[in-house]
Amino acid sequence: MPSRELTLGIVGSGGDGVVTVGDIISQAAAFEGLNVIKTEAYGPQIRGGESSCNVRIAVKHIEAQADRVDVLVVFNWPDFNRFKGEMLPGDDAIILYEASDPTPVPEGIATKAQKIAVPFVQIATESAGTKAAKNIVTLGLLAELFNVSKDAIRAAITKRFSGKKAGLLDANMKGFEAGIAYAKTLGSVAEAKKLEYVKGSPKVLLSGNEACAIGALHAGCRFFAGYPITPSSEVLHFLSEWLPRLGGSVVQTEDELSAIGAVVGASFAGVKSMTSTSGPGLSLMTETLGLAAMAEVPTVVWNVQRGGPSTGLPTKSEQSDLFQAVFAGHGDQPRVVLSAEDVETCFHATVDAFNLAEEYQIPVIILADQAIAQRRETIRPESFQHAVVGRRVPTAEEMAPYRRYKETADGVSPMSFPGIKEGIYQTNGLEHDESGRPNSMHLMHEKMSAKRYRKLRPIRDKHQDFYRMGPEKADLGVLCWGSSKGPVLEAMEAANAAGAKVAAFSPKMLYPFPKAPFLEFLKSVNQILVIEVSYAAQFYKYIRTFVDLPEGRVKVFARSGGKNLTVPEVAEQIRKTLTDKPMREEVLI
Amino acid sequence: MSATVPTYTAGDYRTDLKPVWCAGCGDFGALTALYRAMAEQQWNPWETVVVSGIGCSSRLPGYVATYGFNGIHGRALTLATGVKVARPELHVVAVGGDGDGLAFGGNHFLHSCRRNLDVTYLLMDNEIYGLTKGQVAPTTPQGDKTKSTYYGNPEPSFDPCELAISVGATWVGRAFSGDVKGTVGLISKALAHRGFAFLNIMSPCVTWRGEDQFKSFKAKARPLPEGHDRTSRAAALVFTREKDVMSLGVLYEIKAPSLIDRLAEMKVLASSKQTKEPTTDDIVRSFLPKL
Repeated sequence: MPSRELTLGIVGSGGDGVVTVGDIISQAAAFEGLNVIKTEAYGPQIRGGESSCNVRIAVKHIEAQADRVDVLVVFNWPDFNRFKGEMLPGDDAIILYEASDPTPVPEGIATKAQKIAVPFVQIATESAGTKAAKNIVTLGLLAELFNVSKDAIRAAITKRFSGKKAGLLDANMKGFEAGIAYAKTLGSVAEAKKLEYVKGSPKVLLSGNEACAIGALHAGCRFFAGYPITPSSEVLHFLSEWLPRLGGSVVQTEDELSAIGAVVGASFAGVKSMTSTSGPGLSLMTETLGLAAMAEVPTVVWNVQRGGPSTGLPTKSEQSDLFQAVFAGHGDQPRVVLSAEDVETCFHATVDAFNLAEEYQIPVIILADQAIAQRRETIRPESFQHAVVGRRVPTAEEMAPYRRYKETADGVSPMSFPGIKEGIYQTNGLEHDESGRPNSMHLMHEKMSAKRYRKLRPIRDKHQDFYRMGPEKADLGVLCWGSSKGPVLEAMEAANAAGAKVAAFSPKMLYPFPKAPFLEFLKSVNQILVIEVSYAAQFYKYIRTFVDLPEGRVKVFARSGGKNLTVPEVAEQIRKTLTDKPMREEVLI
Repeated sequence: MSATVPTYTAGDYRTDLKPVWCAGCGDFGALTALYRAMAEQQWNPWETVVVSGIGCSSRLPGYVATYGFNGIHGRALTLATGVKVARPELHVVAVGGDGDGLAFGGNHFLHSCRRNLDVTYLLMDNEIYGLTKGQVAPTTPQGDKTKSTYYGNPEPSFDPCELAISVGATWVGRAFSGDVKGTVGLISKALAHRGFAFLNIMSPCVTWRGEDQFKSFKAKARPLPEGHDRTSRAAALVFTREKDVMSLGVLYEIKAPSLIDRLAEMKVLASSKQTKEPTTDDIVRSFLPKL
């Protein structure tokens, strides 16, 4: 029986073109209107070293990458062994491996799987004239064996190689056809795994970082300053091409201190601005975020979490910048923290961040993580719509005389910028009065602190976004955030399909915390399971700063990053929590 | 300048905020000179931005009736970068002291010079930390006793002009705030320069360096010799790291494209591939196959 879903895993060394195979087959599936989630994993080497790629293709909408692969391509068994525990073939997987690899097939992997030696290198050399085309030969095999449209793959190969060195496209096409021909000699080995689908309208395949960059452009961002850092540099790359086309500018600064300073300067000058970074960069930006809060300058920071602390695991995901994003900084400083859950919400969260920053003149941090910022996912092109909010400039009445930090009911004052003749003001990071003049008296500090914090109230009341998933009343409520939402949602749906009653809650706005809907959720569930990728259980502790969780009904699953959260992991925790008596575990210290 | 009556006098650039500086502080001279230089340039106050970091002299933006931003320690030039790149039509002046600009903000100083960022940077150099009450600075002469160098400064100092010339600034000058008239002329030239203009204003600190510093600056000050070739890097460097004299004037001046010029060229290049500015939908659809 043909399948409605297929997951491919490809493993090799840096030069094997593993990522290209994943890119092209994902692109082809996107052209066909299928749904795709593609992830990559690397060793820490800059070039060479092991790399792997996981592509999940499905007819239905999918929320997470797959845990087990249906088809595994191995160019090199020693590289495969380095991904042990991260790249797992299913029991009935089909494994295609390089016939000339001297390392024997490891014992004990997927014992029931069909293991087929394929002379990828030989086919490539004979057809395309170079062994480098072995990855394209692989595409031919995969297309033929698993029914991924050959025309779509040809189109994707053409998109990739046209305009490159003469003859390269032609050679690759020969390799592709040779792969198809070889697959035909294998007979009907893969009948049960052949994809069955109806071609739909094409989707775009984007990474979360790219979706963020498109969100920034859509929101009207015309200045970007940033310093390269894994895993968020793609925002800088994307905008360096597109911002000048829209009349904007990109500056790669000397460090993150400078990047955030330039963003605050540009925003002060009246231009929507942002920077992107990862945990170590956010640490450096902390002092200037306080300045932005004090001077009330709209500031947007895209932070892609990676394993930490210190250099940590630069290429791998973790949800451990939550405390830093919400709490880091000296003094009492209001800010907003939003989360993104998948590639599409990277776009929407970025536009939301600009809207909130502009409307409330406040720094906004968006927390993504490597798992969604660097994976590629299909999105309907019609999805890129989102209302945009502009800056509130002073009215004529507010100009006579102009007071930059005028007291208002919601704490938001009219914000002038250079070029406005009557709106001249001098601001600073010192405490100041309504005109912006330095003032260090206690009563003024109290009054202005209250003004700045007052802005958080309408933000919470009007914009407290969250996901409430599952039945209205449930035996178990799962609490999660960010990239954990996808695996939780799939595991929840599977559990409910099997007769359980599980619901889930994931806040889109992390700070201010959407307390009211969260309390409603707590009332609607019996037991509680917290799921997060942070060893120190930051999310669990964070929730408890606002709401204490009921004694004896809470279980916490908090583990460190380095491996993306999977559906079976969550399913296992749901099963255990429903069957075992959950308890409130004392979570570390 | 034309013969018509100027729109702005020096007084128009003054706010009614009283400086926090000590009586006799050299920064008063620099501030007065800045008002007069702005009046010479007839800059519209609403199109001018003065930014700073932290320190005694970094309080200056509050005293100038243009747009102003007194930011955080060492980051004046980062703010200036954002303001100028985002709004190239604005006049941007960064100000601050030697600790702010050369210790804390040293990296930003190097890279602003290298980029030839089109802003004016006025550094009020008193060779000491004033605001934090008398500690050693990167420009304090070796051997000097300060609050933090009980036995004398163990470290050599550097000359900010030498640094600026070496790493790419296209206009470098030295002024003495005790000579207001000369400082007006130099600030005015720095403001008019297209590219990164760096003016080191020797600005005595009466509180932590005493009257001797003022006297010593005054005694050492002399104009650059006539005929100095300010387009020559080698000639300019002769007048850095001076010991017994303090040469005032324009040390170095060349014409070169600024960061703003280069970014403007890139915008032209980027938009030459398109018939109209792309919409979000255009950007998204560029990722779809061509039909």
